[in-house]
Amino acid sequence: MLPIDAAAHSSRWRRRHPVDKAVLGFGLTVLAISLPPWPGAALVLVTALAVLLGPAGVPGRRLWRAYRVPLGFCVTGALTLLVQVGGPEGFVSPAEDGPLRAGELLLRTSAASLGVLLFAFTTPMSDLLPRLVRAGVPAPLVDVALVTYRMSFLLLDSVHRVRQAQAARLGHTTRAATWRSLGGLGATAFVRSFDRAARLQTGLAGRGYDGTLRVLVPEARVSVRFTLWSVALLAALAALTLVLERPLS
Amino acid sequence: MHIAEGFLPPAHAVAWGVASAPFVVHGARSLTREVREHPESTLLLGASGAFTFVLSALKLPSVTGSCSHPTGTGLGAILFRPPVMAVLGTITLLFQALLLAHGGLTTLGANVFSMAIVGPWAGYGVYRLLRRYGVPLMVAVFSGAFVADLSTYCVTSVQLALAFPDPAGGFLGALGKFGSIFAVTQIPLAVSEGLLTVLVMRMLVQSSRGELTRLGVLVASAAGRKRAESAGAVAR
Repeated sequence: MLPIDAAAHSSRWRRRHPVDKAVLGFGLTVLAISLPPWPGAALVLVTALAVLLGPAGVPGRRLWRAYRVPLGFCVTGALTLLVQVGGPEGFVSPAEDGPLRAGELLLRTSAASLGVLLFAFTTPMSDLLPRLVRAGVPAPLVDVALVTYRMSFLLLDSVHRVRQAQAARLGHTTRAATWRSLGGLGATAFVRSFDRAARLQTGLAGRGYDGTLRVLVPEARVSVRFTLWSVALLAALAALTLVLERPLS
Repeated sequence: MHIAEGFLPPAHAVAWGVASAPFVVHGARSLTREVREHPESTLLLGASGAFTFVLSALKLPSVTGSCSHPTGTGLGAILFRPPVMAVLGTITLLFQALLLAHGGLTTLGANVFSMAIVGPWAGYGVYRLLRRYGVPLMVAVFSGAFVADLSTYCVTSVQLALAFPDPAGGFLGALGKFGSIFAVTQIPLAVSEGLLTVLVMRMLVQSSRGELTRLGVLVASAAGRKRAESAGAVAR
């Protein structure tokens, strides 16, 4: 299982309905990209971090391991805003308001990422996907996504083992051997995925498979109280941004 | 190259979502029809989605000594066709956003457009064109994967240049800036992905000829067709 999904399964908010967490997490993300980066995104960033480490109970180390990935992308992307192409100062020169734009972009992306991480760290995919049918997503599409999700872990595990076996047979010692091993790894993943699908098909056919994959979803109700608190928090953040925007800018 | 969460301004995020929607809806409708007619396809399509997800997680050696990940769009489009890849790619990108923190939900539309629509269609187009003119399978596969990879990065450069025009050079200046940064890393990576796809396809031709024929990548041999016909005659 992937670390974020594993953390979601043991999350303090696991039993909450995904809608509760979506309102809060995605609400923070929407605010992060819609409000002025300063002070709006900064406020969203602090709030999301406080909720993640506080009430949601996400361990700081796990959060950092997941957060550093999007943060790396954000920093790389923001660096390009520091320079400009053309103009009187030469072909490539430092952009006048580059640091400001890069800083704003960094604030916005890092805050928006935390909003999605809040949802991801508290909601396992297995709780979310079956409920998408009620949201209007066609059931066959959800079934394909469910099979993809469950088979991905098995395949990732298979690929990991094959890789270990290749390494043990000196399959990564030279560049040519590495390429050969990689090709074999990709082909094995394809063969195993189709083999598993065929075996799953046989097993399900024996149990009267009629085209729908019925899975048990943990019972949960949308908490009106939690949702109202979330909406109030989001509204307060938006209001605070509007109040502070002029004095701080 | 995924565009990170929150990287695009809201108007751009919505616009790319709207641009991607018809392709994804078209793919979803054909996939839904296929599953309703042949329920067993659910498992095969799910397996294809898992394969795409795992393929994008393989570490590819880069010329600089570091490593990167293949997009997998070229191989996916050749094996499963671009409309199916639009849906499988969207599912994969959604999983990557929520399970790996790669990409994002507000940038899902933009990432789907570059990685699940333009990449597969461009790669598949080149592959089909070359096959029509009798180019050997492996050359067509390499070209398809190379073009799919490179077109994905070109579209990403356009998306970023539109969102962040250069203060002096405008859209074209920004396109040159993002494009040249990507070119340094992505042209070698596109070559690498093309080579990897050829290696995978070569092994698949040896080990999974049946599946490739079923997917329409390989044409059934005359002997195979004769065997199938005689089996049908016996059954009748």
